Amino acid sequence: MSRILGKEGSKVLLLGNEAIARGVIEAGIGFASAYPGTPSTEIVETLADVAKKLGIYVEWSANEKVALEAAFAASLSGVRALAAMKHVGLNVAADAFMSIAHTGIRSGLLVVSAEDPNMWSSQNEQDNRYYGLLAKVPVFEPYTPQEAKDMAFYAFDFSEKFEHPVLMTPTTRVSHTRGPVRLNKLKNPVRRGFFKRDIDRFTLIPAHARVRRKVLIEKWQKISDAVSSVPFNRIEGDGKVLIVASGISYAYVKEVLNIMKPKSVKLLKLGTPVPLPRSLTLKAIGDVEKVLVVEELEPVVETAIKALISEEKLSIEVHGKDYVGYEGEMTLERAYSAISEFLGIGGGTPWKPSNASIGEVPDLPPRPPAMCPGCPHRATFYALRRAVNSLRVKPVYSGDIGCYALGVMPPFQQQDIILEMGGSVGTTNGFGQVLEGQIPIAVIGDSTFFHAGLPALVNAVYNRSPMLVLVMDNRVTAMTGEQPDPGTGVNAMGEPAPTIKIEDIARGIGVKKIVVFDPYDIKKSFEALREALEYVIKERKPAVAVAKRACALFIDRMARRRRIRTPKYQVKLEACTACGVCYNAFTCPAITVRDDRKAYILEDLCTGCGVCAQICPFNAIEKVEEGDREWETLWF
Amino acid sequence: MGNSMVLRRLNIIISGVGGQGLITLASLLASSTVESGSKALVAETHGLSQRGGSVEVHVRLGDVIAPLVPKGGADVILGLELIETARTAHYLKENGCILASDLILRPGIPNVKMPKKGELIGYLKKVTDRIYVIPASEIAEKIGSIFTNSVMLGALVATGLLEGFIDIKTIESNVKSLRMGDKNLEAFKLGFNYCSRNCFGCK
Repeated sequence: MSRILGKEGSKVLLLGNEAIARGVIEAGIGFASAYPGTPSTEIVETLADVAKKLGIYVEWSANEKVALEAAFAASLSGVRALAAMKHVGLNVAADAFMSIAHTGIRSGLLVVSAEDPNMWSSQNEQDNRYYGLLAKVPVFEPYTPQEAKDMAFYAFDFSEKFEHPVLMTPTTRVSHTRGPVRLNKLKNPVRRGFFKRDIDRFTLIPAHARVRRKVLIEKWQKISDAVSSVPFNRIEGDGKVLIVASGISYAYVKEVLNIMKPKSVKLLKLGTPVPLPRSLTLKAIGDVEKVLVVEELEPVVETAIKALISEEKLSIEVHGKDYVGYEGEMTLERAYSAISEFLGIGGGTPWKPSNASIGEVPDLPPRPPAMCPGCPHRATFYALRRAVNSLRVKPVYSGDIGCYALGVMPPFQQQDIILEMGGSVGTTNGFGQVLEGQIPIAVIGDSTFFHAGLPALVNAVYNRSPMLVLVMDNRVTAMTGEQPDPGTGVNAMGEPAPTIKIEDIARGIGVKKIVVFDPYDIKKSFEALREALEYVIKERKPAVAVAKRACALFIDRMARRRRIRTPKYQVKLEACTACGVCYNAFTCPAITVRDDRKAYILEDLCTGCGVCAQICPFNAIEKVEEGDREWETLWF
Repeated sequence: MGNSMVLRRLNIIISGVGGQGLITLASLLASSTVESGSKALVAETHGLSQRGGSVEVHVRLGDVIAPLVPKGGADVILGLELIETARTAHYLKENGCILASDLILRPGIPNVKMPKKGELIGYLKKVTDRIYVIPASEIAEKIGSIFTNSVMLGALVATGLLEGFIDIKTIESNVKSLRMGDKNLEAFKLGFNYCSRNCFGCK
């Protein structure tokens, strides 16, 4: 049973994202939508697990824009709604987000954008609190799982009071931190609603939008006044110097102050960096000589405080990014150094690693993340390289966001560009129109294709761009934990759903060359890819190749759960020549090296895919045990 | 040994390889702490780092507010793989304690130059005198290699470092409620007994 359904009044250990999920069901939401993305995924994943039990609707949307638009519609119909995404997901949903700020909402609408300072699993480090400023939407920035839950609950009343959406921005260290959370009462969800027409408000034609723009500016003033009294902002202590800490930075600052115990320092804890709570901030800075703002990424609060001081014609020294810096996430060391510099204490932090651990580290091999044992992507990359080489063409690989981005690592290095969701097919369009003597190949996953690859493929057909789009269809959104997608055949709540086939889409929009293959069959994969590439070269038109094989991690987990035996492979030592093709050119993590350089298969890790047996030039890998018959049926 | 300041807060780094079960281990430690009436925070990274890459999980018990352990601030490193233990050694405070499984896993990259076990242990001995290499796979051998994390957890409990944060009864009952709980508990006790005999002076 899900931990988020624990008893009212109990204190349980919850992941920040689970805490947010608990918060929204305590607020009685009836609708939740998301596109998976680290570090946001578990919010809606947790809700999906309890959806049927609670009678709420939960979906994995095709992308973040659809997720937000759908949640907005629920709100207009009287159903409290949540749309969750990772920070870059809000770029995709931004078009809707900006307009929703103009129309406003009816029942509470919470947008969660999980931020990723230090880019633990992201392509950029943007500070989405700026989206709050851009759209004029209040931003709630929690510092613990407990506060994340409290804010998620509070956001709905706040949202309804101003008929305005609320943006919450937990960072990786809130979303993916487990901490104690006290559970409150669950509210009965409202799942169905009624849409009452209000054409002047909800149809943003220019004449209406101009009126709504005025309403928005007035609303923003009221919200700016109201945030001074939300319970997530407060002044602690007293003194002639003030430290302002926003979001998770408060946790670090508070702990540093507990260790440092400086005399007479006032602390302003901010849970709503946008808009700056004006009257509370004025109260906090009223009698101080200088201010230090500690916040991650951009100087959002710092800039607002400087503006306030200027407006009020005060003379107070303000520090922030000059001591704290911009990039990466907050740490105790960073907060300690900034505060000691600000207070003029100096002397370094109290934490001292041993000399040996700093100076005499042995040469450690790097351990980047890798494609899993049995990953069909590895086999596809292997076959793709051989197909490209056999035609003696020079490829340009446009990669995308998903597990196949790991194809950038040696030995594959079959990604020349990785930008953003769907960017592979988009950039390939441009390459196709300008390159000579090089052939553009887009490498994209099924979920990413549905998300943002589709319009770019339409563009390729329409504008006749000579390019290969290779969709590595592993039937799920794998990187974020194997959530179902429009090609899986099941929805977020576990109900059967239509399976949308990528090859059908390609056919429907007029792609004339489509090949579908099973990457576990290296020879056939090679032939299919070669055929598609030849078509692009000869016909100068787009072709689509679909590599269809489920995520091995997903299947292996299912097989273990159902106690289905997988096939077993072993290396025939007398036949192995220690050539290293399997462990250096194919790099399956289940294949390791013996002291005599011969290969050895780790039974615990091997998924039984059998691809290594096909690529071994000396036929030294053999199947020693058949798997259960059901094993093969799990994959499709 | 420690004074009351040390006992109020315990910083643990758990390091290893994605897929080894670090998050399950850290969650079990933290939920046992919360159930025993203390505070616990676990900071982890998901997504990319789970795909066989280096993983470090920060576990902080007691009077803590921030989720991350500072470099040079860990009281103990629980290393589930020797290369990763060495990679995270800079987190250890001076004279901190390392409990390291002797397991070495080859990174899945081409032409990798593997360090020798002796070289890694030699380095860790320079970092701290209080380094205990635990033959976790050998200890778990009779029960099964998937129970090595319970061996390491038992070893950690045996150091006494968790006293005041976690009741032994609570953590034992949580180990027992894992899948294949009886075997996990057996592995936990083997680790506990091994460390009771061999890991002197962690506390």
